[in-house]
Amino acid sequence: MVIGEIVLCLRDLKKNYGTKEVLKGIDLTVHRGQIIGYIGPNGVGKSTTIKILLGLEGDFSGKVEIFGEEVTDKNIGYKRKIGYVPEIAELYDNLTAREYLTFVGELYGMDFQAADEKAHRLMKVFGLEEVYHSRIASYSKGMRQKVLIISSLLHNPDLLFLDEPLSGLDANSVMVFKEILAVLAAQGKTIFYSSHIMDVVEKISNRIILINDGKIVADGSFNELKAQNKEGTLEQIFNQLTGFNEYKALAEEFVAIVQEV
Amino acid sequence: MKNFQTLKFLDWFRRIFESFGIDYPVMRKILAVKLTMDGRRTPTIFNQQAKKKKKPEENGFIKSLGMYVLLSLFLIPIVIFGQNYLYQMSILFGIVMFLVMTSMISDFSNVLLDIKDKGILQTKPVGRKTISAAKTVHISIYLFFLTAAIAGAPIVAGTFKYGILFLLLSLIGLILVNLFIVVLTAIIYFFILRFFDGEKLKDIINYVQIGLSVSIAVGYQILARAFSFVDMKITFSPSWWQFIIPPIWFGAPFELFLGSHSNGYLVIFSLLALVVPVFAIVVYNRMMPSFERNLQKLTNNSGESKRKERRWKQWLTGVICQSNEEKVLFRFSDNMMRNEREFRLKVYPALGLSLVFPFIFMFNEIQMNSYAHLVSSKWYLGIYMSCLMIPNAVTMLKYSGKYKGAWIYKTAPIQSLAPLYSAALKVFIVNLFLPVYLILSIIFIGIFGIKVIPDLLVVFVTSVLYTVICSNYLKGTLPFSESFEDAQQSGGAKIMLALLLIAVFIGIHFAVTFIPFGVVIYFILLVVITIFAWKQAYKTIWNF
Repeated sequence: MVIGEIVLCLRDLKKNYGTKEVLKGIDLTVHRGQIIGYIGPNGVGKSTTIKILLGLEGDFSGKVEIFGEEVTDKNIGYKRKIGYVPEIAELYDNLTAREYLTFVGELYGMDFQAADEKAHRLMKVFGLEEVYHSRIASYSKGMRQKVLIISSLLHNPDLLFLDEPLSGLDANSVMVFKEILAVLAAQGKTIFYSSHIMDVVEKISNRIILINDGKIVADGSFNELKAQNKEGTLEQIFNQLTGFNEYKALAEEFVAIVQEV
Repeated sequence: MKNFQTLKFLDWFRRIFESFGIDYPVMRKILAVKLTMDGRRTPTIFNQQAKKKKKPEENGFIKSLGMYVLLSLFLIPIVIFGQNYLYQMSILFGIVMFLVMTSMISDFSNVLLDIKDKGILQTKPVGRKTISAAKTVHISIYLFFLTAAIAGAPIVAGTFKYGILFLLLSLIGLILVNLFIVVLTAIIYFFILRFFDGEKLKDIINYVQIGLSVSIAVGYQILARAFSFVDMKITFSPSWWQFIIPPIWFGAPFELFLGSHSNGYLVIFSLLALVVPVFAIVVYNRMMPSFERNLQKLTNNSGESKRKERRWKQWLTGVICQSNEEKVLFRFSDNMMRNEREFRLKVYPALGLSLVFPFIFMFNEIQMNSYAHLVSSKWYLGIYMSCLMIPNAVTMLKYSGKYKGAWIYKTAPIQSLAPLYSAALKVFIVNLFLPVYLILSIIFIGIFGIKVIPDLLVVFVTSVLYTVICSNYLKGTLPFSESFEDAQQSGGAKIMLALLLIAVFIGIHFAVTFIPFGVVIYFILLVVITIFAWKQAYKTIWNF
């Protein structure tokens, strides 16, 4: 793989919530065209990292640079080149898809007409043309997710943050979306992909970063991780690295309680 | 999205916003989206198609302003009659503050406490300044309309009487009052969020909403009567304790500039009216970042909730529920009704009103005759007024904010759903009706003496019977299974019929009081009928 320019750079990133230390010093450099699988157990600071990168969380220590610009409260220019799919489908669902998508497009500095036309065509590709003028509140979970995906890509960003982007999508849509990611990466977009579904991360990422307890505990391609840990699947590597080996005992306990009745 | 008049007006001030470093076009777009959303209610999948009639989008808030305008007409006499500016204007500002504050909490909480904004707007290339400016302008637009509705009529009337200086003082005063209220509300939220979690805050907001609707309804009754009592010639001398009553600060400038006398107190009051709001804004700006951080608590409920096992309820469940299924469903309905805020919002104001209504009628009687006359009369039948809430509350039983959870009834292995109805109605009687009834009964026994106890018992059994009759409203729909969006505000003819029925019950009760032992016989008869009706309802109304 050709190493491109540096897109994202974290130096000794630390973050506290009160007395609780969430991030304990993250160092990370991401190059253009990479698909990063960002994984880790619940509550170890995955979402916090993404929120800091997007400027949603302040009060951190260390250096954060995106496209060579330092992330601060004042600097908002870099956000123009970023797309974001949040973990929880947060959107103004009283609006129609058209109203919401054109609004987001305009916030990114697009012209209304251009945003409208582009959004309409993208909705059509996803099979949502008929509901373009309906309120998002009436959508199913998968449809909302598609709207979120469109809203993150409408302005043709260079860097994508995806937090559990496949939730609610059916198998066919998942195939389409995975292909979209592959094509985008081939064209030099950088993708930061955070998920709990290991099979998907294993397949789509060309670099996997495992975070545990506020620190990076593994960094490399899937094959590199496999070589280091002698385990078969990413799921097993994940279990091993996060020190979790009691899944069988827990499962047995669970079933035993179920059968008591 | 339509082009809002308000925003067109705002365009005049474009320069001012831009001079503060705000991206005006972006702010305008955010506001347009916000106003559009305010004009809509969240539709559900089902009525998206069904209700696609050509209904122009209306902002519910703007529509509700009519009520405030009506109320404001009552305020005109306060301003015009009398000579004591301090007294009159303090009352006016007191009422304005109360209404704006309660309305602020009940209607704008979602603006102040919005956490969606953060994820959606801050991830976009939009400056913080622009976002917070949009938020501020959004609140200001509503506050402007609200204040204009409440204070408009009295201020115009006052200007005609006292001249242009009055208008000027009022405008400045109202702006300062609004600033003060916004900051005060935010600070109150700040402290609640600091010590409690989001659920507690939502509960508090809910109770304020309930209180607001009760006090506005009662306020109409009282304000309309108040003028016969109020003596406008009252002398009102400033003293130290008035420092802690904000409306008096705002009333003071009027006395100072328009009135005949001025003294040290008035000067200090007037200064407070100016300094406190400005100071509050400074504090607010300082607190804003940590306020935003605390807002995150709204989503995650960290506080472990303690569960109180209430013995008496367990005991009661055993007594009034026959089958095991009914007991289960009783507990379930109990939890649903106590926890669901939307349900409380729809039903509790009616509870408050039914506590007050019997007395409003009795006050009329006292004014016309005398208290002694009232005690010896049959006005204790006024307690039937508390039954007026039953039809409305029973209709509400079928709605729930989380109505989609109703699939559980279908998948659970329950033979008949009839116990669900009886359980829900029993919970309604125990949790909602009984407290109102008991409070009223105690007061009535205090007024009319213990001789009315048999009559009160008759009223209770009648209400139970009445509840069963009203449960016809539930026919065909399961409790907690429909969205509140579908609720028709006025049940119309059906509710009228139910109310007429109450009149019939009062008539019968009134008649039997003339027969010796009539009340006791009537009571026994009612118990038998009620038991029979409940059994019948099991077979016919609730089982389908």
